Amino acid sequence: MIQENMVLTNELGLHARPASALTKIALKYKSNVTLQGNGKTVDAKSIIMVMTMGVKGGCPLVVIADGPDELECMAAIQDLVENKFYEE
Amino acid sequence: MAEIIKGKGAVPGVAVGTVLVLSTDLDKELAKYAQAAPEVEEKKYYAVQQKVAAELEESVNNAKDKNQKEQLAILEAHQGIILDPVLKAGIVEKIRHHMSAPLAVLKTSEEMAQMFADIEDAYLRERAADIKDVGKKIVHEMLGIGQPDFDRGNLIICGEEIDPCVIADLPDGKVTGVIIGHGSTTSHAVIIAKAKGLPTVVGLGEAVKRLENDTRIVLDANQGTVIINPDESTAENYTEKVKKELELNQYYLSLSELPAVTLDGVGVTLAANIGNPKDIDNALKYGCNGVGLFRTEFVFMGRETLPTEEEQYTAYKYVIEKCGDKLCVIRTMDIGGDKPLPYLNIKKEENPFLGWRAIRICLERTDIFLTQIKAILRAGVYGNAAIMLPMIISLEEILEAKAIIRQAMSELESEGRKYVSQIQIGIMVETPAAALMTPVLAKECDFFSIGTNDLTQYTLAVDRGNPSVSKLYSPYHPAVLNLIDITVHAAHSNNIWVGMCGEMAGDPVASRLLVAMGFDELSMSAPSIPKVKEKVRSITFDKALVTRALSQLNADEVTKLLV
Repeated sequence: MIQENMVLTNELGLHARPASALTKIALKYKSNVTLQGNGKTVDAKSIIMVMTMGVKGGCPLVVIADGPDELECMAAIQDLVENKFYEE
Repeated sequence: MAEIIKGKGAVPGVAVGTVLVLSTDLDKELAKYAQAAPEVEEKKYYAVQQKVAAELEESVNNAKDKNQKEQLAILEAHQGIILDPVLKAGIVEKIRHHMSAPLAVLKTSEEMAQMFADIEDAYLRERAADIKDVGKKIVHEMLGIGQPDFDRGNLIICGEEIDPCVIADLPDGKVTGVIIGHGSTTSHAVIIAKAKGLPTVVGLGEAVKRLENDTRIVLDANQGTVIINPDESTAENYTEKVKKELELNQYYLSLSELPAVTLDGVGVTLAANIGNPKDIDNALKYGCNGVGLFRTEFVFMGRETLPTEEEQYTAYKYVIEKCGDKLCVIRTMDIGGDKPLPYLNIKKEENPFLGWRAIRICLERTDIFLTQIKAILRAGVYGNAAIMLPMIISLEEILEAKAIIRQAMSELESEGRKYVSQIQIGIMVETPAAALMTPVLAKECDFFSIGTNDLTQYTLAVDRGNPSVSKLYSPYHPAVLNLIDITVHAAHSNNIWVGMCGEMAGDPVASRLLVAMGFDELSMSAPSIPKVKEKVRSITFDKALVTRALSQLNADEVTKLLV
């Protein structure tokens, strides 16, 4: 199990589009992925649960990956968050 | 064998086509559903989930090809929701506890939508609606309701009730008529059908159930009848009529560039009444000179939460931009107990038309009003907008509203937003109180617009939707005409313009009188514009007609004078 502390640097935080992008990545890997933010802990593979967190831009986000491909999974999520979800 | 059903014509015209039934009664469909064993229901859910996901995939690719960014964001979110593992787990659990698949989907999606209720971020909070939409999409598919398929064209849509938004979003040129089982001739569905020029018959009652998909029918909204399986000669006869109406319509469209000026050179501005932002496209075709009444209720209706400033801004900007340098009069929220909204929490009222509505709500729920005003002020940058306040009865209301408008400006200033600081502010004159007070109200207004529908109802104490008294309803009643005359005088002696945006404005019978009274602007549903224009271009300015009309003893005598 690995854990990374990140900060959302995009303007809107985990809005529908960023949430959808993050969920899509989490679903690609076998590992269980959990997000913690805004006082809530949710399954990163559920776009609905990710949106209900209501994490805003500039807020911290903890990502926990646990499984056979946890390293690759974490790297992919980190890349997405650091690149502001590849929004314009 | 031909069968004739009698209803009431709501939007004149005729159509020949095939029936497309729009069923929205989910409860009834659910009750009819034959539930199988849990394993079977579960398999059914998976199958439908995959099918709907595949359809969404296609829509996503479509949106990508057409570069429709906003649609794409929504569709992608829907795609994520339909495959969501938590949603799936919730549904499967319910099915295993012997709930039917469609009910399990409906319940689970509603429960999950509920989790969004206390999210702080307004945009995310509204995603609850997306989850419900996806749930409904699956349920519709399971129950075989399906999304209506308009592609065949030449369809007459039919339902016990039809959601106004459905009519607003109809694809162009596929639907030629509307039939509503319930419904008065003035429901919102009818108003939109009118703006689109779709012949409409309402009030068929239970008989509407006899209309089944793909049945060939004739719709005669001039007579208020529907003919099921017409014989060849009847169908031919009506096809000929449809052709003639099309030709007449072509003629009317050809008037769009001509000015509305009487033979002796008196001009009047003919503007459009619109309800849905997209109505402006149709109205421009008919040659409207700006918008005299943009009903903003549709921004508020058919949804679970208040529309955001951003959503309203987009809707208003669309219309304002299309109007170019012409005026676009935006009426602020005019909602009350007759069209209750889930998020407004209006208590049941004995008399909603005399109750907490329109400006009365706005001056108390200033959060709603401020958001709307800010959206209008920001959208105003793209053209020439005006703000119109509904249901005014006193000067104080105007002053309070203006204070809130100033507050909106200072908030926008400190937020660093672009907005218009100079904007016309006027009122609807639709209560006898406002009409009688116009000499005072004019000092605080940039314009008046007379709403004859409500003014007539309030003056004559007649609910025109009530069949027992609707025959007493007439804007030609001398009492109403006198209030109108007072309003026009008050406007002109205070150097402000005066218009009319009730249905009377779109009635060519009234044109001669209204021009003589001195109206600066008449605003009406788009298809009426060329008819009124044709009338205006054929008459002369006859000041003496006003005195004669005002001195008649009843509405019948006035109309006799005019036709």
